[in-house]
Amino acid sequence: MFKAMLIKEFLLVSRDKHALAALFIMPAVFILIMSLALKDVFNEEKALIEYAVVDHDNSLESYAIISKLRANKLMNEHNISESYGKPKEEGVQFIVVIPKGFKNQFSQSDANNSALQIEVASDIGQSHLMLFKTQILSSVMQTRLDAVNLAQEMQHARQGKGSSYQKISFDEKKMMKVHYAALEEGEKPTSTQQSVPSWIVFGLFFVIIPMSTIFISERKQNTLMRLSTMNVSLPVLFGGKIIPYMLINQLQVWVMIAVGMFVVPLFGAAPLTIGGDLSALFAVSIALSLSAIGLSILIATVVDSVEQATTIGGIINILLGAIGGIMVPKFVMPEFMREFANVSPMSWGLEGFLDVFLRRGTLNDVLYEVTGLLLFGLVSLLLAAVVFNYKIRRVA
Amino acid sequence: MIKIQNLLKKYDKKVALNHLSLEIKAGTIFGLLGPNGAGKTTLISILNGLTKYDEGTLSVFDLPLNENLHAIRKRCALVPQSLAFYENLTVIENLRFFGGIQNIPAETLKKNIDYAVETNRLGSMLKQRSSTLSGGQKRRLNIAIGLLNDPDILFFDEPTVGIDPESRNEILETILSFKRENKTVVYTSHYMPEIEKICDEVAIINAGEIIRQGTLESMLRNDETDQVVIEIYETPLPELQAVCEKMPSLRLISETNLMLEGNSSQQVSEALTLLESLSVAVRNIRYGTTTLESLFISLTSKGRADV
Repeated sequence: MFKAMLIKEFLLVSRDKHALAALFIMPAVFILIMSLALKDVFNEEKALIEYAVVDHDNSLESYAIISKLRANKLMNEHNISESYGKPKEEGVQFIVVIPKGFKNQFSQSDANNSALQIEVASDIGQSHLMLFKTQILSSVMQTRLDAVNLAQEMQHARQGKGSSYQKISFDEKKMMKVHYAALEEGEKPTSTQQSVPSWIVFGLFFVIIPMSTIFISERKQNTLMRLSTMNVSLPVLFGGKIIPYMLINQLQVWVMIAVGMFVVPLFGAAPLTIGGDLSALFAVSIALSLSAIGLSILIATVVDSVEQATTIGGIINILLGAIGGIMVPKFVMPEFMREFANVSPMSWGLEGFLDVFLRRGTLNDVLYEVTGLLLFGLVSLLLAAVVFNYKIRRVA
Repeated sequence: MIKIQNLLKKYDKKVALNHLSLEIKAGTIFGLLGPNGAGKTTLISILNGLTKYDEGTLSVFDLPLNENLHAIRKRCALVPQSLAFYENLTVIENLRFFGGIQNIPAETLKKNIDYAVETNRLGSMLKQRSSTLSGGQKRRLNIAIGLLNDPDILFFDEPTVGIDPESRNEILETILSFKRENKTVVYTSHYMPEIEKICDEVAIINAGEIIRQGTLESMLRNDETDQVVIEIYETPLPELQAVCEKMPSLRLISETNLMLEGNSSQQVSEALTLLESLSVAVRNIRYGTTTLESLFISLTSKGRADV
């Protein structure tokens, strides 16, 4: 009986080009696009800031600062003329103006009129501005330290102490070591590790559309009624949907992982690696699949037409994705939105996958998410059964 | 074969079947006639265990329905009015799916598929996507699916809706062939000529009650009438209309039936001469009878007038 159901469901999905596109091509393309679009966010070697400098001081000090900014790999300098326009017009995010007399800051305690002026493009966020200010401060500090070190060295030389002076160092690599939790020494998270889990979760929930379309057609054409007269019970009917779509979901997961591992690197982004346990990966993907299928069957039983199913299913999918941190990563959300994200099962699935891909999680680490997803799926199926029975009785 | 006693079914306060009793004998083709909303579909749904009823007793194969639903269903099949199969599957894929879902052993299923395909002349289109079949071919596939469990009882709910006369005749011939195999058929239709053509027994149902039941012959006999029914071989309607225009006492009932108002030998002779001159072949003449359509209209309109 299940074999017949399985073959039927596979044949129907495989002949539905739109379903195949929604289930496989759409999330694969998303993975590719998002991995490439975000690859520089996780790349410390890549310039994040575009800036220009206008130097009215033309001093050794101003030149020293400009040199240090140029050496900073986070920043990319543009050349602009003295009669410069607004940052946007010059194609930069920041314009640093070094006023005449800036060098006095290094020799006088009161040099208010010689402060650096920073012009900021209007679409720059606070975090970007803070980052730029930190880089400027760092360059100024380094220049000052260089001056102090030079003065001290000269004094040592005058006092005949030779080269015994220990320079004060401001080297970031000597001052701090960065280690990402659950990653190996020197290993960094990549955009692929962040993107693949998100779009796997999103893709899995897209079973809503083909499944509900087939289910509603079966209901409308009285095929379900015919199956009832053939002694096909409700648990068998639901089981006949759950098993094939769970297999389709697992296929989706591995296709997306393959895209992350083998296709994304062809376009220059880092390949996906599975750091955590495979058992944890299976547990999350099966639990997530059950919750997506449960929601799909619930929608299919509640709505009355294929048009309603595709519209409502699509809207629910996008809303759950937006809330659950699929479209906008949770770490950039404000605190209350991060809390709110927890209402979406996509968020639980995403956390589970991030545990596996990013945090080298084990089965124990994903137990909380897996339990939540399984419960969500089972409650959805239960509600679907209640609605289905009610509707059948009403029609009969 | 099927015994229904005192069956009551209500939808909220509306009575759909009002203490209905009915007996259908094995091996007959039983016609269920009634206007829309008369309760035909409700009755078929109850007999297939799809709808619960409020009162009464039902037995099929001498087994109480509710207690033996699973076993009874294995020996029955419903051919619904809608095309209840998968348009995106081929003919053979549909047959294999609906057979497989019933847990029929592989050998038996193969035999039953062959029988269903042969009976419904689907052999040349097995690998064709069902969506590409013609209306008549789809109807035949709908029936073929009903044969996969080799049922003893077949329920047909208006199986010829929306198809051309040629396909309809093919389907009716197929259903007639089930009688030769001693299958019992319960057939609902709005087309009176279909019922007249294939049914041994008929029940007319109106407002949830059986208002007339019996063999077709006994139901159509009416000693008080002076009408004569002239059965003819199927003739194109325009030719029959031309006949009726030439003799106003002749009334066209269907492509195979004419009604003569008056039973004098002179009138009958005139009518037969006219038909012969126009090359319309006569099959039978029935004195003192009416047509199913006349009977149906008189009975159901009486029912409506009573309401």
